[in-house]
Amino acid sequence: MAKIIPKIFRINTGSCNGCDVEFVATAFVDKFHITSLNVELVDDVKDANLLVITGPLTARSESFLKNALTKLRKPFVVVGVGTCSVSCGIFRDSYAINGPIDKFVAVDVNVAGCPPRPESIAEGIAKGIKVLEQKLNGEVIPKKIDTIFSDFSAPASFRGRMDLNADMCTGCRTCETVCPSTAIKISEDANGFIHKIWHNSCCYCGNCAYFCPTGAIFSTNSFDTVKLQNEKYSDVNVSHIFYDECTCCGEKYMPPSRGLLSKSYIKEDRNKLNAAICSKCRKEENFKRMYG
Amino acid sequence: MTQTQKITIGPFNPELEESVYFKLEADENRVVTHVEIINGFIHRGMESLVTKKNFMQNLILTERVCSLCSNNHPFTYALAVEKIAGIKVPLRAEALRVIADEVKRVASDLFNLSMLTHLAHHHELMRDTMNTREHMQDLKEIIWGNRMDMSANQLTGTKYDLDEKKIELIIDTLDRVEPKLRDLQERYENDEIFREKTVGVGVLPYEDAIEIGVTGPVARGSGINNDVRVMAPYSLYAYRKELQPKVTLREEGDVHARAMARFGDILEAVRIIRDVVADMPEGDTYVEKRPHIPAGEAVVRTEAPRGELIYYLKTDGSQKPVRMRWKVPTFTNWEALKVMILGDKVDNVTMILNSIDPCISCTER
Repeated sequence: MAKIIPKIFRINTGSCNGCDVEFVATAFVDKFHITSLNVELVDDVKDANLLVITGPLTARSESFLKNALTKLRKPFVVVGVGTCSVSCGIFRDSYAINGPIDKFVAVDVNVAGCPPRPESIAEGIAKGIKVLEQKLNGEVIPKKIDTIFSDFSAPASFRGRMDLNADMCTGCRTCETVCPSTAIKISEDANGFIHKIWHNSCCYCGNCAYFCPTGAIFSTNSFDTVKLQNEKYSDVNVSHIFYDECTCCGEKYMPPSRGLLSKSYIKEDRNKLNAAICSKCRKEENFKRMYG
Repeated sequence: MTQTQKITIGPFNPELEESVYFKLEADENRVVTHVEIINGFIHRGMESLVTKKNFMQNLILTERVCSLCSNNHPFTYALAVEKIAGIKVPLRAEALRVIADEVKRVASDLFNLSMLTHLAHHHELMRDTMNTREHMQDLKEIIWGNRMDMSANQLTGTKYDLDEKKIELIIDTLDRVEPKLRDLQERYENDEIFREKTVGVGVLPYEDAIEIGVTGPVARGSGINNDVRVMAPYSLYAYRKELQPKVTLREEGDVHARAMARFGDILEAVRIIRDVVADMPEGDTYVEKRPHIPAGEAVVRTEAPRGELIYYLKTDGSQKPVRMRWKVPTFTNWEALKVMILGDKVDNVTMILNSIDPCISCTER
């Protein structure tokens, strides 16, 4: 098995330069261990075998990207860095965007993040090299590659992958309204609400957590966003917020969440106040109590 | 008859941080005789996008105009919104905004300088600059949660607050960074290799600088002081005169002068952060989470790491802006490139481009 030298070339297809800056940091700061991968940064795209692509692919860049791709010799690996390259992220609805890049090139590794931490970019490149080795040796590319740099850590305050505490959520849709990259979708079925967070569209801004009235949605410090292409559409956080059945009429209704009640009733016993009845029955009961 | 060479640089080139396309003509000595700059690669239709998103979403969208000045955009946007709504921001929030802004300025300018030394093939200096910048990156990650996009601002105030421990961390980081910065400044000023590559390269004379209307460190490198923080103070700079920076002016107008003007900015930014955290005003950090924005128009300008940033905002009382337009520093500095590149060596083109600290994603948005 011949040892290969990964030759990296970066293509910016219209990123806000956050990912490009972080790529430079990854390449030149020692603490991100990129030197341990024995990579080489090449000056010409035709020498490269590991393409790092950033940005959502603007209309103007499209033909230039296609042209650059024709110069590459197979086999090569494409690592998409940044949420934009994975799903166009925050710029998705714009008239000037033709991406994401996987419409035009077979992407192998996706690194979500806005921008991803250099640790994630290094991990993405390391996974890209693994895929390249397998391609060169004619092996089947696995469905999943385990984390390579397992000793990286993030501070507790790092804004990473979002998570939802379904117990606290009332389905008020504030997060859906304030999310700039429409990564949050709340739908309804017979049993309640379904709350979805698409990690590959998320721009990790923390707006949802900041504006959430009950603190149900929160950011973890996980930066595990490096995924192979086949995991692209399954990297979703799905939570269910269930209806309660009214003890009075049997109708299904959305109960106020624990978080909302603790904000409204600071002193009283919340369980006593919140007898499991729907708002219609509560109205009738209150009317009877006051005037009946 | 001299032989002219046609040379193209870009759009994808490892020496260019962002995609630009240069078509140059040069004579037999590789001196540039004609410049054509083709751009539009980073155009993402931002001005259309902001009218489709509501005011809260635009806080983040404006941040993604450019990740290097990603605090200045939402800051200026928030100032414009507050001007329309007539909201007075608490003093503590103003202080917090200025801290975030100056931290970002240090990191942004240091990144530009490290790219400059990279292009000047002085790798030792580049690594040292990059490693110094890492201290600021770590600080941003611990306090604001991200290394680039801090998400610090919100309409009517800030999202974050500083407690004793965090202030201590800021001072501690500055204590560690400042000696390194002074050492670097000394090396940038006197290093033989760096001087040889940059002194007298890409000269922008004073008259041209005035005529083109350059801003920020580019103007200061040519002897013009038009720092908005001094000329038209806003936010906390307006309340506290002593915070306004004592800018570094250089007469040479070359790549080296612009780099040193940037160093002046960095050290002043460090001084400003120290002054603000030493005397933090008490009070709230915001007025209202989701304020109502009435119909109106506003123009606001601030000083981004690259120069003057102007925001125009028009609202009609609905949840979304009707029109938002911004004039970014690189828009005027860009024109100066033609003066700088003409008559200089082809090999210096990417370095001259870097010396204006171009933010193409701001300009083309």
